[in-house]
Amino acid sequence: MPAGQSPEPAGGAVGAPAADTEATAASTVETVVADAFRQEWGRITAALIHQTGDWDLAEECAQDAFAQALRRWPGDGVPNRPGAWLMTVARNGAIDRLRRSSTYHAKVEEMAVMASRETGTGDPEPGADDSGVADERLRLIFTCCHPALALEARVALTLRTLTGLGTAEIARAFLVPEATMAKRLVRAKQKIAHARIPYRVPPASALPQRVPGVLAVLYLVFNEGYAASAGDDLIRRDLCDRAIALAQLLAELLPAEPEAKGLLALMLFQHARQAARVNDRGDLVTLEDQDRARWDQARIGLARRHLEDALAARRPGQYLIQAAIAACHAAAPTALATDWPRIARLYQHLADLTGSPVVELNRAVAVAMADGPAAGLALLQRLEPAGALAGYYLLPATRADFLRRLGRHQEAASAYEQAAALAGTGPERRFLNARLAEARAQDRSV
Amino acid sequence: MQYMLIHAGAPDLDWAWDDEAWAALTSWLDEAIGSGVSIEGSPLRLDADATTVKVRDGQLIVTDGPYAETKEQVAGYDVIECAGLEEATGWAGRHPHSWMGAVEVRALVGGAPAVHLPAPRAGQTRYMMLVCTDPAVGPQEVASMESADAWAAEMDGRGIRLFGSELEPPSAARTVRVRERRAIVTDGPFVETKEQVAGFDVLECADLDEAIEAAAKHPMARVGIVEVRPFRPLGDD
Repeated sequence: MPAGQSPEPAGGAVGAPAADTEATAASTVETVVADAFRQEWGRITAALIHQTGDWDLAEECAQDAFAQALRRWPGDGVPNRPGAWLMTVARNGAIDRLRRSSTYHAKVEEMAVMASRETGTGDPEPGADDSGVADERLRLIFTCCHPALALEARVALTLRTLTGLGTAEIARAFLVPEATMAKRLVRAKQKIAHARIPYRVPPASALPQRVPGVLAVLYLVFNEGYAASAGDDLIRRDLCDRAIALAQLLAELLPAEPEAKGLLALMLFQHARQAARVNDRGDLVTLEDQDRARWDQARIGLARRHLEDALAARRPGQYLIQAAIAACHAAAPTALATDWPRIARLYQHLADLTGSPVVELNRAVAVAMADGPAAGLALLQRLEPAGALAGYYLLPATRADFLRRLGRHQEAASAYEQAAALAGTGPERRFLNARLAEARAQDRSV
Repeated sequence: MQYMLIHAGAPDLDWAWDDEAWAALTSWLDEAIGSGVSIEGSPLRLDADATTVKVRDGQLIVTDGPYAETKEQVAGYDVIECAGLEEATGWAGRHPHSWMGAVEVRALVGGAPAVHLPAPRAGQTRYMMLVCTDPAVGPQEVASMESADAWAAEMDGRGIRLFGSELEPPSAARTVRVRERRAIVTDGPFVETKEQVAGFDVLECADLDEAIEAAAKHPMARVGIVEVRPFRPLGDD
């Protein structure tokens, strides 16, 4: 068969969609391809990396497969099993490329044998490998999250290979130039190759050590989806859903690890509030102002069950405690009914566990709700001199809020100004500017 | 007497290795190997491929990067056998690393002498394990450290450790830099970091996890810092 052409996988294709116009057909296909991309990118990349050991090749072949889908499906129709089609095309592309490189001759034969052994749908048998890993992506994520890689490299590699986010998008998400992010990804893959970081799920004995590193990456990914630090899109649903799906997978594989369930519960609690977080104008709605009727109770119920399971292990952990805090919010039918003293106590536990200044900041917020803004301000005044939160917009934003509630509008205005200057996203900056305008108005009217 | 030559240079000058430097390296190797002076040696991957291992309060801490963040980084090593320090320093001064960066000369102390290493086994990777002091750990804790003999015996038995040795203290080191064809020899290590190399081992492992496991078991992992850096095949880009 001519190089570059791939056979159609068995399974056939549906007839061409009944389309009014070509444009409609094309945009329907685009939607299908976009959905397939979200579902399948990570699986395809993981499978190809496992089979070829070549990360760049895996990405390029996955990319090509989706490009081919966009070209061919409008005319040929969308296959019955888009994932299988894409996997086969990607794998054949990899075989083609490797065939041209003589040093990979043995690899090509190995891949061809693997491909012919499969049933022709392109799906590998579940659990077909010796480590009992049901999902190829687990190998990929443990490798991406290996502690020998710098945290920022782990996050970048996880996003690139598991979610298919482009280098430019990841760069924007982390406020670095695209060239920097590209270099970071190249370096990470080079380290994996040079230092021989093994491509596998760690042995059972090593899992308790390795899991926190993975959780940290997943939580970073989720947070990027939950509150983007740049651009006007406050919520990146893709990232939240993907982070949740991966946390789910991890929780299933590691039933003895309460933090995996803790993280999953935390993400679900937070994600449940998604519909209420941003109003129709794209402005940020604070927790106290959110329409709780818009909270996803199904997600909250699921989160609660995971939290209860995790708490049964009686092992404190940072995600577990944060999930318990989120559960307090979820349990309150109105903002006024929130059990702030309990939340403040939970933040104290969390601060003791992590020593994190951001946690101390959140604790100050909870204390202000439980005991009044003056108490919160006193905590901030102890926290600020250490300078650990310099440049973090929520510090002046929090101070501004306490001052506003104390009627100290001039000081509040100056703090809102500081916060707005530091804030990243459109909705957050708009919110702070609105509060700034109010504070100035209040100050003038006094 | 056996000496370790620690080749150091700024990683971003990796590209600066021109034909002259490569030619000088080739002739240095020819001469050193031919005369029986060179026992073993290898270039190492850049510091970006290094991994640091510590054990604190029973917790394994693995981080990306070398044992210390300095402008000049360890780039390779040689173990040579010669009559004394003067001769060793002479060899260091003729090595191209002395003008590309610096070459530190330090005697091996105690233990069996280095011998030529066998060819690497297929599918295995060689790592330089640098055993370093941690300034944050008090001298009493360091003094209470058990000997590394049991560790060495275990790793030798498993085929993971090929060779290793303690080095004389950094204060006894000599560092050679050749600038404008003049050799400048200074007392002390190539860089005055608080963390200092105290010894080294050459490991041959299936993968980085095995190297990390070996490093974590070394007694110095608990009171010092252990860096694991893959060898760089000669001629590799």
